[in-house]
Amino acid sequence: MIDININGNIVSAKAGEMLIVVADRENISVPRFCYHKKLSVVSSCRICLVDVEGAIKPQPACSTPVVHGMKVQTQNVKTKNSQKSVMEFLLINHPLDCPICDQGGECELQDVAVKYGSDISSFSEGKRVVTDSDIGVLIQTDMTRCIHCTRCVRFGVEIAGIMEMGGTGRGENLKIEPFLEQGIQSELSGNMIDICPVGALTSKPFKYELRSWQMNSIPSIARHDLVGSNLLVQPYKGKVKRVVSADNDLVNEIWISDRDRFSYESLTHKNRLLKPQIKVQGRWNQVSWEVALDYAVKGLNSHILNHQKADQLGGLVSNTATMEEFYLFKKILTEVGCDNIDYRLNVKNLDNTIILDSNIKLDALEKIDYALIIGTNIRLEQPMINHRLRKATKKGADVDVLNVMVFDFNYSLHTENIIAPNKIAFILAGVLKSIMINNGQELPDYLIAINVDEMAKNIAYKVLNSDSSVIILGEHIINNVDASTIANLVTKIAQSTNSRTLNLSITANAIAANLVGCVPQNSGMNVNTMLASDMRGFILLDIYPQYNFHHLGAAIKAFEKDDTFVISLNSFKDDIVVGYSDVILPIASIYETSGTHLNINNDMQSYIAAVKAPNEVKPAWKVLKVMADLLELPGFNYEDSTQVLTEISYQSHVSHTHDINGNLASYHNGISVIWQNSPYSIDAVLRHSRTLQKTKIGQMNNAYMNQTSAKALKVSVGDKYLGVFVVITDAVADNCVFINTNQTINIQGQA
Amino acid sequence: MIKNLNKLIKNLTLNELRTGLSITAKELVNKKITVQFPEERTPISSRFRGLHALRRYPNGEERCIACKLCEAVCPANAITIESEMRDDGTRRASQYDIDLFKCIFCGFCEEACPVDAIVETQIFDYVFESRQGSIMTKERLLEVGSQNEKVINQTKLEDAKYK
Repeated sequence: MIDININGNIVSAKAGEMLIVVADRENISVPRFCYHKKLSVVSSCRICLVDVEGAIKPQPACSTPVVHGMKVQTQNVKTKNSQKSVMEFLLINHPLDCPICDQGGECELQDVAVKYGSDISSFSEGKRVVTDSDIGVLIQTDMTRCIHCTRCVRFGVEIAGIMEMGGTGRGENLKIEPFLEQGIQSELSGNMIDICPVGALTSKPFKYELRSWQMNSIPSIARHDLVGSNLLVQPYKGKVKRVVSADNDLVNEIWISDRDRFSYESLTHKNRLLKPQIKVQGRWNQVSWEVALDYAVKGLNSHILNHQKADQLGGLVSNTATMEEFYLFKKILTEVGCDNIDYRLNVKNLDNTIILDSNIKLDALEKIDYALIIGTNIRLEQPMINHRLRKATKKGADVDVLNVMVFDFNYSLHTENIIAPNKIAFILAGVLKSIMINNGQELPDYLIAINVDEMAKNIAYKVLNSDSSVIILGEHIINNVDASTIANLVTKIAQSTNSRTLNLSITANAIAANLVGCVPQNSGMNVNTMLASDMRGFILLDIYPQYNFHHLGAAIKAFEKDDTFVISLNSFKDDIVVGYSDVILPIASIYETSGTHLNINNDMQSYIAAVKAPNEVKPAWKVLKVMADLLELPGFNYEDSTQVLTEISYQSHVSHTHDINGNLASYHNGISVIWQNSPYSIDAVLRHSRTLQKTKIGQMNNAYMNQTSAKALKVSVGDKYLGVFVVITDAVADNCVFINTNQTINIQGQA
Repeated sequence: MIKNLNKLIKNLTLNELRTGLSITAKELVNKKITVQFPEERTPISSRFRGLHALRRYPNGEERCIACKLCEAVCPANAITIESEMRDDGTRRASQYDIDLFKCIFCGFCEEACPVDAIVETQIFDYVFESRQGSIMTKERLLEVGSQNEKVINQTKLEDAKYK
């Protein structure tokens, strides 16, 4: 540590730190445009000039390292004059159109101009005008306002990993623009809006809506992925108008994905369910809450509870619900004597599931030196986790990938292994064998016959020779024939090498669902058994079968049965839900309810409702509470959702015993289909977000396969496979069809 | 005694009546200071702050760009603006309401306006026939503006040199 003198005060600092970092820590204000704490330093704007004793000219604070005994003045005449001159220089070409600029009121240039600028400019010539290019549906550009700080360019290079914006031309002709016609397509592009210090990049969906001072900022949590990014929700007159990122270095740093930023648009979608509905003699009536809940409870009693048939009641819940909702849902079912509850709707075979703990924290992810990624398009599926991995690779970490298709990574990979889904288990078994031989461990029977190939050897070598490694298991494995074997092998590999594991095969709030026990226990049935059994009734929380279920046909058949009483709690209208339900209760969507999200760090992040739910819509936890009261169940005296949270006791995960000898030796033939909702279609909220659906990621809707598979399946380009357009590409492994779709699951394909 | 005598003399000679009548007689010939409102009007300062108006440019385009600075500066919260993007891509107010019951006629809105759109005219004699009438909508404000553009232009010009 060294001491430096800023404005006459002695301040301690680390040698080599930049002056601006020290000033920020000491709350000494130094203006800046190009400097950003998460980006590299270019010192191009020159507004941060400060007077350093001994230097003839003022020095830029962002790129001046501190040395012992340095004397700095940030307030003297020399500093002020240089700041004034730089400000005048920057305003030469900046239009004074603040009144129609969406950045007005939250503009760094405006603030700095008021605080450090002069009121008169000596420049009276014409100003520069830059023609705009359309860079996509999310970001509005007005490049005449650009001050060439290059934060967006550096963001693309350093954070998003794709250089989508760049500077062309020199001097006055310098233009910041995308190189390619297709514009900005990064899954993190919205952050450019946040970091742009002026109004050059603003939010397109928010264009001309409101001024920044008209809205409150309510802290909230993103609910679309495992990260639970911290957000500020900005409502106006009861409607969410904008979402921006909040700072939390342990979770999302200062970035959020576009998915989290723009999903708020769905809250005002015309498909919102606004009133409770009941189906009486085949006709739907909109009724009051009293009538609807009364009808629901009477239906439950007359169909199930009065006959002591609680074991024929099923409870299914989507992974998007809050922790409180999971708990109350589970509690109601337990109280009426029913153990049939599940959230794992998209799993084909629940005897073959992934049981894997995540035991690495998000901020530790960027400190690893080796990662093995298995079965995930991690960049689009978990953007913020991918961002941490990217940071690790920049520090020198190697990443190996074991995928069924070549995906677009925004960092260079050590090896990218594309193999058929049914071979993944063999490769991992080979890795384990290689590691165990290396460690001198005794090989179990099932590994003896395994052939260790080059790929397995390489991976084993990397896992063994790294100090901190992580093995990441993704969503594509969920319905793999060897899913549980793969998870088990991963666990064993991790155990023998002190690796960490990260389970990305579940998403949204599924960790919370697991924790409160939304999975069958005791003699309870799991979702697939429920769908195959003769059930008398279902309670469904936020479920849209055509997107959620693997066994869609079976689900609809089970719900549609004449004597099955179905209570649906949904936030959006859906024809299929209308088709089978007897009661539809409208529930609050994201930002409209208080609750808790449990992320991959095991952080319980609670949030409050930012806006009131529209019309007669109620938060699901309240609906469940009142339903429990009407069912005359004890112990539901909650006044707010925090009381529910305090009551939630940690319950153990369901434990399955893996039969690791099971399928490993047998070779599975045939073509495997990996069906996945595209990244912007994973939940009802995202599917109703107008702008996100217009982006390239939102429109992903293809069945990828290679030439051999296409021949075997007798399809060609332009055909549809399982209702999705076929793309023939060598990027896919043999015997595999990878489907990324934003449309409803095709019944045949999933049966 | 003498006091009472004096009073008696004054009463008998109708002294007070004559004093009063003499003022009346004097004012009969003096120049009048009242005017026949509303046919005649007293002169008003060019800085008078009366009824609001929204102005247009000479080509007929409305000036207001919905920057909401007037809304922000209004100490009585009398102004409500909703902005939108018009079909030609420009920023416009879809709603611009001033509640004249709330308005304290301070003139801050006019000061804040970057495009001289909202102005306070010299009109002070207006009536509301309903409770809703106190809310000047964008249409009504523009109407006031177009009807009085000449006067507004004139008065603003007169005052401009002192600003």
